[in-house]
Amino acid sequence: MLKTTLRSGIATLALLAAAPTVMAQDLTIGLRAGPDSIDPHWSTLGSQAEALRHVFDTLVDVDEKLQLKPGLAVSWEAIDETTWEFKMREGVKFHDGSDFDAEDVKFSIERIPEVTGPMPMTLYTKYVDSVEVVDPLTLRVKTKGMAPSLPNDFTRLFVVSSDIGMEPRNEEFNAGDAAIGTGPYTFVSWEPKGDLVLSRYDDYWGGAPAWETVTRREIADDAARVAALKSGQVDLINYVPATDYLSMQNDSSLETFVSDSVYILNIAPSVKDEEPQPIKVNGEEVDGNPLQDLRVRKALDLAINRDVLVNVVLEGLGTPANQLMPEGFFGYSPDLPAREYDIEQAKALLAEAGYPDGFEIDFTCTNNRVPGDAVVCEALAQMWSRLGLKVNAQALNGTVYFPAAAREEYTMTMSAWGTLTGEAAYTYGALTHTKDAEKGFGNFNRSGYSNPEFDKVFGEGSQTLDPEARKKLYEQASVIAMEDRALIPTVILQTVWAAKADTIDMTPRVDQETRAYAIMPE
Amino acid sequence: MFGYLVGRLLQAVVVVFAMSVIVFVGVYAIGNPIDVMIDPGATQEIRENLIRQYGLDQPLWQQYFTFVGNVFQGDLGRSMVYNISVTSLVFSRLPATLELVLVSVTIAAVVGIPAGLYAGYRPNGIAAKLIMALSVLGFSVPTFWIGMLLIMAFAVELGWLPSGGRGEVAEFLWFKTSLATANGWSHVIMPAINLSLFKMGLLIRLTRAGMVEAMGAEYVRFARAQGLPDRQIVFSHILRNISIPVITVFGLELGSTLAFAVVTETVFNWPGVGKLIIDSILQLDRPVMVSYLVMVVILFVLINLIVDLIYARLDPRVRLKGGS
Repeated sequence: MLKTTLRSGIATLALLAAAPTVMAQDLTIGLRAGPDSIDPHWSTLGSQAEALRHVFDTLVDVDEKLQLKPGLAVSWEAIDETTWEFKMREGVKFHDGSDFDAEDVKFSIERIPEVTGPMPMTLYTKYVDSVEVVDPLTLRVKTKGMAPSLPNDFTRLFVVSSDIGMEPRNEEFNAGDAAIGTGPYTFVSWEPKGDLVLSRYDDYWGGAPAWETVTRREIADDAARVAALKSGQVDLINYVPATDYLSMQNDSSLETFVSDSVYILNIAPSVKDEEPQPIKVNGEEVDGNPLQDLRVRKALDLAINRDVLVNVVLEGLGTPANQLMPEGFFGYSPDLPAREYDIEQAKALLAEAGYPDGFEIDFTCTNNRVPGDAVVCEALAQMWSRLGLKVNAQALNGTVYFPAAAREEYTMTMSAWGTLTGEAAYTYGALTHTKDAEKGFGNFNRSGYSNPEFDKVFGEGSQTLDPEARKKLYEQASVIAMEDRALIPTVILQTVWAAKADTIDMTPRVDQETRAYAIMPE
Repeated sequence: MFGYLVGRLLQAVVVVFAMSVIVFVGVYAIGNPIDVMIDPGATQEIRENLIRQYGLDQPLWQQYFTFVGNVFQGDLGRSMVYNISVTSLVFSRLPATLELVLVSVTIAAVVGIPAGLYAGYRPNGIAAKLIMALSVLGFSVPTFWIGMLLIMAFAVELGWLPSGGRGEVAEFLWFKTSLATANGWSHVIMPAINLSLFKMGLLIRLTRAGMVEAMGAEYVRFARAQGLPDRQIVFSHILRNISIPVITVFGLELGSTLAFAVVTETVFNWPGVGKLIIDSILQLDRPVMVSYLVMVVILFVLINLIVDLIYARLDPRVRLKGGS
């Protein structure tokens, strides 16, 4: 009796002594946005993929710079023009103890069109014609035509267990019954707009992660998220606003992490024969569309002082952009020079084009879609007024902006575009290729830009399997579109994370994801 | 009495009907929800399939009648964003808002009415002037700003209270509430005070105005002449007489707080319905918008009904007639 009391007493003491380390194994993260569902095939939303990555693995993974690395597949190669072969990782187990094999991948690909929602995941399987399981560790995917970017698409292919069958939908996943993945964390609980609670999976193939329990708390309001960090309710927050970032620089109790993002603010001048909103000189609508003249587009570009945008308007949280993707992305052209600011040359070009006194133009931007979009919008309008233009700038809520932009109602717009896949086909194919519903190109080309030379080079690239040759062609295509000022890139936005000083160690990611399993206690 | 209730219910049905038409036409005028939600990389084909799948290619009147048909079968629809039924989505967040509003109106009434009575009883005293000055602050300073100040002071600097969230919840009667745990109370108290300030200011001013007017009224002078103690005059005669406007405003405020506590909910990251509806509007999640607003209309009608019933109880001259 005495012995057991003693023993339990010692055990209690040991537990007490161990308590601080137990505490250190919990990580609470305050995030601007969370998932809309626990079903990984429901939506392409970035915050959804980011959250569910903890529970489910993707077939192919990406590093901090968005370049491909092995995930559940250890290697992949194109064995002929329309067939990709993926080799599966051996010895991977689902959270329920069952084995992972190629059947689960096939099941996941086939499940997507059955269950996906209004932000459809079919986007990532659109090239898949059929899937064949050669053996448990080998999967062959037949594609519709040549699909060099299939491994990139499969960076968003989350693998669920084929044992769950086709029936489970969002409710079953949200309740946890069907939320069985191979990822570094097991699902504990979630409610819409609330906390996502995760628990460490000790048998994870990539090694068990550092934190035992991770709580991903959705705190949409910027000020509330900062307050939660300062009051110690959370250990780490993402999307720190620029103003708070400045004050955090002088606060030794906090530490910040800054990284370029994939998002670039691009100006899109409409080059259609008739501009949607009239461009005027002395109140009279001008003949034709001045923006069709390359000299006018160059003048607009030259009048932008990108250093001022970065250092003054964005409080230093940006990088000047000279093309639609950040450096190091697949198809980024090193040959393009940095954009110059030269107001005199801009004025001369405008005069040469026949508008010595400028013109009046509408300019529409998104508001609060990404940090800084509205202020950059106003700053641009002022920069162009130095050129002699009268710019009616308007920053609109996404709810109003996107449907109207899709109807192509604006003459000149600015919005953010993120190269989420890390390669050029995604960005240039959607934005600067001639609109072609059949090939699936140009679906976000709202300016009417169409250059046969660009289409030819880009098209050739999209039909080239050899990565090196494809990269060269994409670089060439980037140069053509940028020299044409098809779109005018302004700044690459940066993202800031903040944590209590000396508590965690993390490498910020260009895709802005906050991956708990890549964060280490310090 | 019965005719009166039936009339009120019919009124509610008409309002609900009109409101749902307005939301449908409004969303239709803004544009296609798919264009707001869709991923930038989607092809034209995917987009058109989606529009068909959600029935957004049909004419507006047809979409509307499909919706009405489903409502009559008890189905308010599924959220386009969450793909779970709208009823379970709204009811999963309603308790959080209810408890916040309950605590906040209680604080407003318990502090506001006595303060107003006192300010009206001794209108020239220093305390009364102070109360009136503070009441002006209560409804003129923006809620979110006071909320941020409270957080800065009590959560960040002093560290006494958590900066946001709902805290622990425990089962109480039929639903889970944070009012059943100490940790929950520590979370609810700051947002509740923040939310109560506007109402408190309003109640103070209303009560005081009524009080000042009543103090000069004949029945008060008569009661005084009779030698009744002030306490009895104030609490059993004046309070009863000035209750009608106070209760009217209280009812309206209760309704609007329940429906639109969104500012406080955002600042304190409170998981209530206010944030849900704002997000639904931003994403054009039409099923959630329509269903939520239908519930709000029903709520307002119910509160007004209760207020009317209380009138009749307080003032025997008020008669409830059918349909009025």
